[in-house]
Formats: sequence, C-alpha cells, structure tokens
Amino acid sequence: MSAPKLSIVNLRKEFSDGSVAAVDGIDLDVAAGETVALLGSSGCGKSTTLNMVVGLEEPTSGDIRIDGKSVVGVPPGQRNVGLVFQDYAVFTSMSVRQNLAFGLKVRGIARSEIARAVDEVAELLGMADRLDARARDLGGSELQRVAIGRTLVTKPDILLLDEPLSNLEAAARLAMRKELRRLQKEAGLTIVYVTHDQVEALSLADRIAVMSAGKIKQVEKASIICDQPGHLFVAGFMGSPPMNLIRGKVDGSGGGLSFARDGFALTLPDGIALDPAEAAGQVVLGLRPEAIRLAPQDSDTLAATVQQVEPRGPEAVLTLDCAGQSLKVIVPASGRPQEGADVHLAFDRSALVLFSGKTDLRLPLHAGEAA
Amino acid sequence: MTLHAPPEVQRPAVMLPSSPAAAPVHRPAGNLGVARFFAVPGQIVSLTVLVMPLLVALYMSFTDWSPTRGSLFDATFVGFENYAELLVYDTRFLEAVIRTVLISATCLMLEFTLGLGLAVLFLREFRGKAILFSAFLTPMMILPVVVGYTFWMLFQSNGPINQIIALIAGPGAMPEWFRSAPFAVATVIITEVWHWTPLFFLILLSGLNAVPENPVRAAVILGASPRQVFWQVVLPMLKPVIIVAFVIRAMEIIKLFDEVFMLTRGGPGSATETISLYIYKLAFNDFQLAYGAAAAFLVLIGTLVIINLMLLPVRDQLLEARR
Repeated sequence: MSAPKLSIVNLRKEFSDGSVAAVDGIDLDVAAGETVALLGSSGCGKSTTLNMVVGLEEPTSGDIRIDGKSVVGVPPGQRNVGLVFQDYAVFTSMSVRQNLAFGLKVRGIARSEIARAVDEVAELLGMADRLDARARDLGGSELQRVAIGRTLVTKPDILLLDEPLSNLEAAARLAMRKELRRLQKEAGLTIVYVTHDQVEALSLADRIAVMSAGKIKQVEKASIICDQPGHLFVAGFMGSPPMNLIRGKVDGSGGGLSFARDGFALTLPDGIALDPAEAAGQVVLGLRPEAIRLAPQDSDTLAATVQQVEPRGPEAVLTLDCAGQSLKVIVPASGRPQEGADVHLAFDRSALVLFSGKTDLRLPLHAGEAA
Repeated sequence: MTLHAPPEVQRPAVMLPSSPAAAPVHRPAGNLGVARFFAVPGQIVSLTVLVMPLLVALYMSFTDWSPTRGSLFDATFVGFENYAELLVYDTRFLEAVIRTVLISATCLMLEFTLGLGLAVLFLREFRGKAILFSAFLTPMMILPVVVGYTFWMLFQSNGPINQIIALIAGPGAMPEWFRSAPFAVATVIITEVWHWTPLFFLILLSGLNAVPENPVRAAVILGASPRQVFWQVVLPMLKPVIIVAFVIRAMEIIKLFDEVFMLTRGGPGSATETISLYIYKLAFNDFQLAYGAAAAFLVLIGTLVIINLMLLPVRDQLLEARR
C-alpha cells in the first residue's frame, strides 16, 4: 500500500474536566480513495475524532497527518479537509448557488471560476436546476446534497461525513447511499465517516473501524468483519442479531477438544491447537446466528427449545434455549417452528471463533495463525 | 399560531337561543353562555376605555371642536379639512414629522450598532460579566421622565458633563446644550440612546446565542475568516431578530415625548419638537383638540405603514409555519 492519505497516530483527547479520555490513543491509516467508517454507539469518541481531524478541536496528544504532513495546530480552514454535518448546517439565508459558492468566495477566487466550479458540482449532484432555490425551502436529501456539494467545490483532500444518512427517511436514505457510492467512485474521494448504523457502515465503507470507549477495537474490511471479529466487543456489536457469545472452558480430555459451559457442550473441530495458557483459562465461544441451523436429530446435534420467534420478512430470528444457554439463530421464514417447540441444532463448526477470557482478543485456532 | 378558534369552541355558538325543548338539556352551550355572561363586564370596560374614545376621537378629528365651545355634538362637521390643513399648510407639523423620523433613525442606528457591539463582546467569557450584564439592563427599567430629568441636570451649563468637557478641553469648549439647536438635538439623541441601547443589547444577545453552531463551524471549515463568518453567516441568520428589535424600538421612539419634554420642551424654538410634543401642545396648550386628534390619526396611519414596510423582508419567514 502506498503512503496513507490520512494517518492518525496515537491520538488522545481529554476534555477539561479530565475524568475520562473521549478519544484514548487511536491509530488509523486511510489510503487515498478509500472509504473508512468509524462505527460505534453514541459517546464512543467517533465524533470527537472527526472534529480533531477537521481541526474544530485540538488533540491532547498524538498526531494527525495528511499526506505525511502533520496538521495539528493548522486552522480548520487551511487543512483542506471537508466536513458534512449530521444536521447539514446549510446556510439557510442563502440560495443553493450561494451555498455552493461560499467556500470559494471566502478564499477570494475569481467569480468566473467560482461559477464554473459551482456548475460542475451542481451537475455532479443533480442540483443544476435547483441552483436558485432558497436553501430554506429545500427538503432533507436536497439539503444533504447542498452540504456535500458545498464541501466538494473546495476540492478537499479528505471528506468527513458525520452520520450522513441518519436524518433522512428510509427511501431517501437508500437513494443517498447509492448516490454517495457513485460520488465516491466518480470523484475519487477519500472519505472517513462516522455512523452508529452498521448497515450503513457495511454498505458504504471499504473498511470499518469499530470504536468503543475512545478506542478502536478493530479495523477490518467491511466484507469480513462480521465473520471474523478480532475482539469480543466487535463480535457482540456487529451483525443483527450479533454473534452468540458463551463464556466457558475448553476441555482437552480424550481425543479432540470440546467447549463446555454448565450443561452445554460442543466438540470443537479437529486440528485445533490452542495456546495451552489460554486453553487452561476461561474462553468465550462465538457462533454467528447464520452458522447454526435446525436439523433432524443425529449424534452431532444438540436439543433446544424455541423461546421466541421474531419474523423479519423472508427470514426469522429464533431465540432458543440450548442446555441453559440462550442462542439466536436465523432460519428461513417458511417452515419456522412455533414458540415452545423442541428442535435440534446443527453447528457449522468451521465458522466458530474463540476469544480469550483474559484479553477479549480472538484466539488463533491453529498453530502459527495470527488472529 | 392560528387566528381561528378551534372548532369545538365555535360550534356551540350556533345553538345559543335554541328551541325551548332543547333548553333543559345540559350542554356545553349552556356553559359557554355563562362564560359569556361573565365576560360582559370586561367587554364593557374595554369598549368604554378603548374603543369608544378611539371612535370619539376619530369623529372629533372631522369637526372643529374645542372644549371652550361646548358639547362635541354641537361642533361643526368639517370633513377632511383638519387633515388637509395638516398635510398641506401646517409646516410646523410636517417639520415635526421629518424631525421625529430623523431623530428616530439616528437613535435606532446608534442603539443597534452599540447594542450589537456589546452583545458580540458578551459572547466571550470575561471577569465581571454577570455584574456588567445587570448594569447594562438597568437604564431600561428607569422611568422615561426620570431619565429626562436626570439628563437635563447633567447637561446644565455648569453640570457634570460640561465640567468634564472643561477638564479635558478647557472652559471655552463648554457648550450651552439647550440654547443651540444642534446641541439640543444631541442631548435628546444621547439621552434616548443611553436609555434604550440595552433593549437592542438584550434582544441581539439572545438572538446571537440562539444562532445554531454548526453553520458557523461549517463556514470556518470552508475557510472563512472570523469577519466573514460574522457578516456572511451569523448576521443573515440574525436578520429576523434584528428587524423585530428595530420594529419594537421604532414603535416606541415615534411616540418620543417624555425625555424631550423634560429636557428641552421642544426648544430652542421648535428645534427638538417631536410629533408627540407638537400634538400635546396643540391639544393642551392651544385647546385645538379636534385638530390634534386629526394629527394623531395621521401619525397612527404613518406608523402602521412604516412598521409594515419594516417587517416586509421577514414577513414570510415570521409567518411561516414550522415544518
């Protein structure tokens, strides 16, 4: 990979009350043309991180580099980083054209050049016929376009989006998601964006950085983060429903390994080699709801009772009681069992993951493999 | 806000004096009747003290009545003669109108500029802010008559203001405030600005505090300087608030009376004679009540026009329903 466009190094932010670090030493590299989502629940420090990258807040320590040059201490207007706010923050007293022109006008760019740039961006956003509308009269997705366009006109090195879709209604959200993906390709934008909605993150981002309590727990390609969570928090956060997590012990007596918690016992696939130190302590078993299915009873299945059935269109989420453990399983909506029914579960053992009970990190299942 | 009464309230009005068969049935209509009965004294009071005098004054303005000539209803009806006289021949009235407008405009601009400056300063933290805030608001709470009297004392030939001027520029520089026309006008403007700048300050400060943060931050990120942010983003968002502040003050200052009465009584000559002062003199010095009433109605019409013109730029925005 070439040198990163944006690089965040051990970034920390403590607010004046000093009690908790809002951002607690995060590292992140974003390549040119890449889209990275900062995903986390509210208060995890993701918006503070954006504010520091754009320059609205100064970090307590650590560094932010754009094209290898530190921008800490550079005023927000000179970093060439664009930020689109969640509430769009469009200038309501101006027309669409004035909004789009603002960033160039304040830099003293020639009027003819501004007009050309504004027309170009308006074309890109499909707003060419709305240039003379008053911003006050615009609807949600139009405001969003103006907010993005206003930033794109200034040709930012990096575009930051703060919860870009969460103020839109469902239909507009789908359309805007498609639009953003198109922009990202056509304009070759480097985008960092913040969201609490993992569907949004999964559909827009190349990579996802999952944040919790001011730390990045894992940065991983969007396509595999659900199946290969590197950290217990990510496993419990990603996916809907998230991974089934059971805290228990690995039992190595006799032949292969098996995992046990109270009455619940599951043999682990052959060839697994756990670090003996970890295997001796507590581990957490992770199983995606998609990796469990209903099956006719045989020697390899476990018995369970259906406690709750939650239909979700073409599929249904079952909450099951399996030997005292609560498990979520996704099954096709047709032929789903009734609540209270007794079923048998087959496990796709190649999909299971184990986490250390001490460090919450994923354990390598084979010697030499890095988690 | 809607101007229509909700339908539940309107409906019973139809069945007020309904058929006798309906009478014994207890309905909300009965309650409303009682409610209306209790409202009658209030209605009478407002009719007698507000509407009646207005109508009487309106009628009076079309007569040549004066209290020295007996009953109003014996006075000669003269049609629009008073109005024509005022608009065409009464140069003192027209001068008073122009003078009032000029003094008002000067005062409003000064009050706005000072009020905005103070409000912007108050957006930052500094020591003693809370005490200064209370101090700045105090002038508004003092009776205009008292303010007028106080400044009359301050502007005396040997008053404190002249003493300070003498200290700085020597005794030769002391003006006779009430003997020269421009200085007399200045005393009125200074007094008025001191008295009412706090209102602009208060309204603009609350307006500035209500300006949303994100458009300001967006402008900063787009590279705008603090000056550009203020003039191009903050002030336009403040426009409705600014205009409402101007309207409130304009409605008051057009009626400017107390301070001028205490300071100069309109003098020297008629150099500081405002419309209110002129009408007061017409009515209570010269007993030309009918003529004064006509003048007062002209002022009312003029004020209505001016205020509505001032509101024009933000009318739509203020009347717009929240989406």
